[in-house]
Amino acid sequence: MDVGTVIQEERVKRFSPARSVEHLAHVVTFVVLVCTGLSQRFYSLDISQWIILHLGGIDNVRLIHRFAGVICSLEIITHMAVAAIGIVYGKWQPSMVITKKDFTDVVHNIRYYLGMENSPTRGGRYTYKQKFEYWGILTGLLLMILTGFILWFPSVVTMFLPGEIIPAAKVLHTNEALVVFLIIAIWHVYNAIFSPEVFPMDTSIFTGYISKSRMLREHPDELDEMEEKPLEDMPASP
Amino acid sequence: MKKEKYIMLVALLFLSVSLLMAGPAGAGNTDLSDTAKACLSCHAQHGLMVTFENNEFVEAYVDAGKFNASVHNSFSCSQCHPDFSADKHPQRKFRSKLQYHEKSALVCRRCHTDRQLRTSSIHTTLLNEEKSGTATVCTNCHGSHAIAQVKKTGKYSDEEEYCMKCHGYTVKMAFRSGEALSGTINISSLQASVHNKLSCSDCHYGFSSEEHPKRHFATRRDYTLASSENCRRCHFDKYTKTMESIHHTMLSQGNLEAPVCIDCHGSHGISHISKERVLIAKRCQRCHAGIYDIYAKSVHGNALFNENNQDVPVCADCHTAHAIEDPRTLSYRERVPDMCSNCHANKAIVGKYGLSTAVVDTYLSDFHGVTLKLYRLQKGALNKPAKPMAVCTDCHGIHNISSTVGPDATVVKANLVKRCQKCHAGAPKNFPDSWLSHYKPSLTRAPLVFFVNLVYKIFIPVLVAGLVLQIMLHIWRYVVNR
Repeated sequence: MDVGTVIQEERVKRFSPARSVEHLAHVVTFVVLVCTGLSQRFYSLDISQWIILHLGGIDNVRLIHRFAGVICSLEIITHMAVAAIGIVYGKWQPSMVITKKDFTDVVHNIRYYLGMENSPTRGGRYTYKQKFEYWGILTGLLLMILTGFILWFPSVVTMFLPGEIIPAAKVLHTNEALVVFLIIAIWHVYNAIFSPEVFPMDTSIFTGYISKSRMLREHPDELDEMEEKPLEDMPASP
Repeated sequence: MKKEKYIMLVALLFLSVSLLMAGPAGAGNTDLSDTAKACLSCHAQHGLMVTFENNEFVEAYVDAGKFNASVHNSFSCSQCHPDFSADKHPQRKFRSKLQYHEKSALVCRRCHTDRQLRTSSIHTTLLNEEKSGTATVCTNCHGSHAIAQVKKTGKYSDEEEYCMKCHGYTVKMAFRSGEALSGTINISSLQASVHNKLSCSDCHYGFSSEEHPKRHFATRRDYTLASSENCRRCHFDKYTKTMESIHHTMLSQGNLEAPVCIDCHGSHGISHISKERVLIAKRCQRCHAGIYDIYAKSVHGNALFNENNQDVPVCADCHTAHAIEDPRTLSYRERVPDMCSNCHANKAIVGKYGLSTAVVDTYLSDFHGVTLKLYRLQKGALNKPAKPMAVCTDCHGIHNISSTVGPDATVVKANLVKRCQKCHAGAPKNFPDSWLSHYKPSLTRAPLVFFVNLVYKIFIPVLVAGLVLQIMLHIWRYVVNR
């Protein structure tokens, strides 16, 4: 995006700097966890072995993976705590909560794609696509945090639970990791980079701003709300 | 005795016959003494027999031509047969052929003194043995009337026959330590050995019908160690392998009891070692008796010794025959799954016994197996010591491997938690269940694992298909709208 259009186009604030920092932290831990995790799952691939050898062996890979896992857990806990406090104290709107409209939007949008509706759905602050991604990844990460700790401390876990929990946790952890990886690699990368609506890249999470034309197209309901109320009264954006 | 009278009769008959032939018989033997000619008039004829009390006999025949060619050709017969002459032919009695030969040999010693004889090693050995009552029979090696230096007798068709002239008898090697080693070769075991086509000097380098070098060894063990070096001239590949072995390491560190070729293979009676698998185990038993006993009670040893099962591993199958490595090293431990999978991943071998070949894959795809693989992979690339990983032997035992079915199964299971605790400190009794005992998850075995796997097997393709479809529809709509 060249500078000229940025100045010309009216921009709307979408994310606070804290959200940008949070996103960057997730990018880093995600990349580290994927590299060290999937290379363990697909250890027979050349790329996996290359990663393992360049990180100084499988013991190092596991150590890094666990360390990154702890960081990731802290990020998720912080995120959930901040969101909960924000919503409870009324500073945030529960805009990520899945509503009935999201399900009807899915059907509506698919009908639109197939030419059975005249217009796409009117998105709120978060569209059903974004909610799916958010909750898909959040539940995936929560499952992986849980199973990751089970795999880390098998002898503690088996004091209270049957031994079969360990291989079950392993199967869950690796498969869920693949699910999260696929959601990011297919859905998120498409929607944030390759989608013709945002190509070459949706920069809003990095800059904190989104163009008014995109707001009009993707989040018209939110834009309406914003224009009805004076800006000062707007709740801090999550 | 009736028989002797008969012999005398025959002898007289020949005497009279040969008197008639005396002229032509002596014609070519101008150097022979007159007395010798007289004796030969009878003894040049075949058919004269001397019979002994045990009914053995020798022919009293003298080949005039060979005698004439011998070093003793100028002797008269009486010089060696002092009691006999043209007019004296005493009757003598001998118990056996051996006694006769022993007595005859004493004649030689009149001229060939002990002092003269002791200048050669073989004679020294023989003379030393006389102290213990073993008589030396000179004629055995040198012949009698056709007497010659052994190497010049020329009557040996091959080297083996030549060497056996002495080594077929009681020959002993003496060592400085006072030990002795029998140099007697059992010709039948030599001929039955794999080396039956070889000549003695092929192994006993430096020895021949021309040479018999004197060598001195401090101990009998020194001689064995030195002799084993002979094997490498042909078996160089095996020799180099043994140089990598723990046995060779022990030897080079000064443990002279560490085994060398001869200790396992023997010397003259070498046979194909692989023919009888029980023997392989027995060879190791000589030094490793304790382990042998444990092995004999294991599921493998039991099948070998009691059922003569040739499928089960013997010592050399895991430890190899020559490049025997220290089994306590990490690198040996890391190869244990390979050793077991040689049979346990081979349906042709274990299928017969109703054993699953999935045991190797299930191990290798689990945490320990994967880690082991990666450790082995990174060993070459990273100079970093790996941690010991649980391998087959950790749960199943090493030499004491017992059956995992039947009454022994509970023992295997009971020991499992103790083994886990060695690495996983404080592992509770539930802990071993986290290993699915080589079973693939199913509705009956580990249903939880099976269920989770099944859910994802369906969910992941559906998810990917759904997302890709949405993306494609989105692009399609975008293109259409433009």
